[in-house]
Amino acid sequence: MFWEAFSVVVFPGLLAAVFIGFLYEGIMRKVTARMQHRRGPPIWQPFLDWIKTMTKENITPKAGSGFLMTLCPIVAFASAVMAVMFVPIAGFPSIGFEGNTFVFLYFLFQSVVFFAISGFATGNPYGIVGSIREIMQIISYELPFVISVITIGLFSSFTVKPFIVFTFPFAFIGFILGVMGKLGIAPFHIPEAEQEIIEGALTEYTGARLGMFQLAKAALLWVSVSAAAVMLLGGGNLIIFLIKSLIILFILTFLSNIFARMRIDHAFRFYWFALVPLVLIDLVRAFLGIW
Amino acid sequence: MSDFCLPFGPQHPALVEPLHLKLVVEGEKVVDYEFKFGYSHRGIEKSLEKRQWIKDIFLAERICGICSHSHTLAFTRGIEALADIQVAERAEYIRVVMAELERLHSHTLNLAVSFHEIGFATVFQYMFRDRELVMELLEMVSGNRVNYGMNLPGGVRRDIEPSKIKEILEKLAKLEGRIDYYTKLIEKDNLVRKRTESTGMLSKKKAIELGATGPVKRASGISEDFRKAGYGAYGKISFYTVTEKGCDVHSRFLVRIRECAAAINLIREAIKDMPSGPIINKTPPVINIEKGKETVSRVEAQRGELIYYMRSDGLTPYRVKIKTPTYANYLPLGECLKESLISDVPVIVASMDPCITCADRVTVVRNGKETIVRKDDLKKM
Repeated sequence: MFWEAFSVVVFPGLLAAVFIGFLYEGIMRKVTARMQHRRGPPIWQPFLDWIKTMTKENITPKAGSGFLMTLCPIVAFASAVMAVMFVPIAGFPSIGFEGNTFVFLYFLFQSVVFFAISGFATGNPYGIVGSIREIMQIISYELPFVISVITIGLFSSFTVKPFIVFTFPFAFIGFILGVMGKLGIAPFHIPEAEQEIIEGALTEYTGARLGMFQLAKAALLWVSVSAAAVMLLGGGNLIIFLIKSLIILFILTFLSNIFARMRIDHAFRFYWFALVPLVLIDLVRAFLGIW
Repeated sequence: MSDFCLPFGPQHPALVEPLHLKLVVEGEKVVDYEFKFGYSHRGIEKSLEKRQWIKDIFLAERICGICSHSHTLAFTRGIEALADIQVAERAEYIRVVMAELERLHSHTLNLAVSFHEIGFATVFQYMFRDRELVMELLEMVSGNRVNYGMNLPGGVRRDIEPSKIKEILEKLAKLEGRIDYYTKLIEKDNLVRKRTESTGMLSKKKAIELGATGPVKRASGISEDFRKAGYGAYGKISFYTVTEKGCDVHSRFLVRIRECAAAINLIREAIKDMPSGPIINKTPPVINIEKGKETVSRVEAQRGELIYYMRSDGLTPYRVKIKTPTYANYLPLGECLKESLISDVPVIVASMDPCITCADRVTVVRNGKETIVRKDDLKKM
């Protein structure tokens, strides 16, 4: 009972989602800065940003709905934390039952969907365009992402088998690119393209609501990276897991720094017509048991 | 849905300067647009009339932070033409070196910003790092990173000594390697090409009709460059113009990066051919020009052709009319925005290299009537 409670509240649940999520974000920013020949902020900068954001006032625009604007970040954060409970990290208790993979996918999906709704809730033109883009992006990446997860599930039943990279390389690529779309990092930072639509869906958010969204983003990063580490690179004890998740984090950061931003129609075409056939090959292989 | 209006500016992360673009969009597609200017009018043209000629040079320099040398060059050339001042020969070459260094720093800045607009933060940072080489050179030669204060009627204020020439050549060699790298990147990178090719089309016909200028015009396949007229020392240095036939944002990128390579060549040529001698033919500090004398002075600034019309009123100008290249490129910008997508608007605007503050003017409206100067009135003047 103690370990269950521990896993919900501390690791890999609530506190880990916040603290390690922020820490990973800080590492990402630092690595990005070093890749771009900059010094970069300290790796605890996201904490400081968050603390400052929380002290600011909440502003509801005239066209916006205050209720929805408060609801969206909370649900987005809660869903991301729920999703991490399904990932079996280094022997900590996780929720396991028949079909838990799909519930895991559902919570991940719900988290980003509330990111998308948040723009509509503000009534701001940039927010609305950002939300439309977010939804289009969800439609784009969700199919190859889900196919990759199913492939991996068929192969390993979501737990221990190591190194999917060599057995199912396309599923690995599909998973990583799907995660990049989900997190909205380059080249898929289309919904929050600051040069085009300022901050996209989050343009009008201030204060504690924005702070909750920052938490949700951190939790989403934590769950994505840890799920990728467990599902793609296999299990291990806590230290090995953390090293593996840092490897995944580095791959994500590296990829995000070597591309320009895609256009939303290009992204859709890329996911559906270039990536889906590849991941389907691996799905068929997994289904027929050829590996 | 068709009356969904997306404001682009005057405050916007993609714009450094206040330009207001009202975009009417359908989904991602821009169906209509409207420009609004006048957020940063400074009245410099009027202030020029209140000062003496020499002081005006330094005021004209402050019109633009990026093309400050070009502005003073145009203004001093105007004064020299009005007052019949002979320019020291070495000074002409130093002016070419400064103008081309400035072209390098302007083009790398614009390209970096363009990469930022298509979400390529890494190249943006790299280009800003490499741009520092040019900025250091400008600082070394003139003492300033912006507003160099080099030009005076009759010559320039600072010489380029042999020790400086050595450093210029060293840094340019370093920069040339980087420019080659970026040329390759623009030509080869898949995503950059996807984002920029056949966006913001400006056909050759339209470019001529709407009077585009500078790199924008050259990217539409028209080889027009006022430097070819051979003002200053440009007539004596071997020199080539860059043109591209793509008519889109991608060819504007290519024109700019190739002009950087051309500018490096030009600086080398100018340094090689530079004659020895004085850098300035001294003139009296107060210049008195016959009243009513007028001239048009043109130079090729980085963004296109810069035109100064000047008319003398003795110790001060009676009127100075400045036509900056950005002004000429507003109509082509509108043409490019037609049928574009929201995601392409920032890069299209950046590819025009707009300098909005330089082009802000005021029309005088009296009793509800606009006062417009027609062509006939101009002829009478």
